[in-house]
Amino acid sequence: MIKLSSTAATRTNPSLLCSSWRTGVSVLCTAFLTSVCFAQGEPPRSIDVGSLPATVVDEVVVPVPTEVFGVLDKLGSPNWHEVLRPVKTESLGTRTQVALLLGVTIAEGFIAVEAQEPEAVKKIGRQVLSLSKAIGVQKSVISRTSSIIEAADKKDWQTIRLEFDGASKDVKQAMIELKDAELAQLVSLGGWLRGTEALTQVVGKNYSKDGAELLHQPAILDYFQRKLDTLNKHLKETGVVKKIARRLPELHTLIEPAGGVSPQKVEKIHSITAELVKTIFSQD
Amino acid sequence: MKTIVSFTLALFFLLCSAQATVDDALSFALQAAQPYVKEGFTVREDYWGGDLPAKQPKAIVQQLFKGNEYWFWMGTDVASAKISVHVYDADGKLAEAEYWRNKPHMAAARVVPKVSGSYYLIVEIEKSPMERTHWSLAYGFR
Repeated sequence: MIKLSSTAATRTNPSLLCSSWRTGVSVLCTAFLTSVCFAQGEPPRSIDVGSLPATVVDEVVVPVPTEVFGVLDKLGSPNWHEVLRPVKTESLGTRTQVALLLGVTIAEGFIAVEAQEPEAVKKIGRQVLSLSKAIGVQKSVISRTSSIIEAADKKDWQTIRLEFDGASKDVKQAMIELKDAELAQLVSLGGWLRGTEALTQVVGKNYSKDGAELLHQPAILDYFQRKLDTLNKHLKETGVVKKIARRLPELHTLIEPAGGVSPQKVEKIHSITAELVKTIFSQD
Repeated sequence: MKTIVSFTLALFFLLCSAQATVDDALSFALQAAQPYVKEGFTVREDYWGGDLPAKQPKAIVQQLFKGNEYWFWMGTDVASAKISVHVYDADGKLAEAEYWRNKPHMAAARVVPKVSGSYYLIVEIEKSPMERTHWSLAYGFR
């Protein structure tokens, strides 16, 4: 999972999502780990995450949209039918674009589940397969998409959620095995952008402080920014990637501080993420 | 040539063996999750894993959302190892509502976030007869 400054520190299981340690963010947290003794009885009530040098696992598990949408459902009854949109992938474009589209499409699958639209779910399941085929990782998701379609017929929403989550993990893993780890990050990024666009649409329509707080995701934005910074030159120069990289810092400013995402900020975040998702669909 | 083949085979089996132990650690983490799945927790298919020496804890940054409840389950393949997982908020305050670590192969912590944002998961091999111990961490939410 992890590539620390010393590879001996923690070794990677290549089958897992997480693959590397990094020292950049590390200032945040971990030297205290060696000085604070967790092993003796109760854990300390508090730790100083700021003043001690540290090493943290670089990879971040990007939350599935359900983690966010579930909270929105508890806060009210969003109209997910309004949020759901048809997925168009007739012209597929470059591998970069397809990776981003895969993420967007899987996120759309979660929205279709929230909207409880079995036909949309089935269509999205087939789109996931078609996009996976375009970048040579279809084998990894064939059984997932079959399960999605089967579960949609039974309206087994929980199974569909799990299968979309699994499909996302499997395509990323297949990309990593094909030495395309950078593309795998783009799948996560595409999914996050569409998920955030959907979230801001719902929160913007019926603003609440608790709903808006869901947008406070600094670790995720830090992670994506780091990943985009370290992409290879070829990917970095892609129009869509350049555009996303340019707007992420702006999004970072808007989601801070915790509890401080105003209706105006929600609207702005929505406008940026909607524009970026549109760019992903375009041939730019 | 014979030496190269033998070396390659040895390396292959060594790698397979290392893989198996992390997978075993994961299977214990997922086993720890089982009772909670029955209580309505959805388990993410993404998870962390690796190997660590004893008493050298590591930190993982994780986004958690207010309004959800989370369980983090840690597993190891070494039955006699003592492992733990604890969760701190962005200010460094212990954030877990409860934890346990008294079962062989497993430890867990539950969090009901007071705010949405970044949290620090601290995983540790507290004691182990092995020089390095495989571990895996999974999580679920409802």
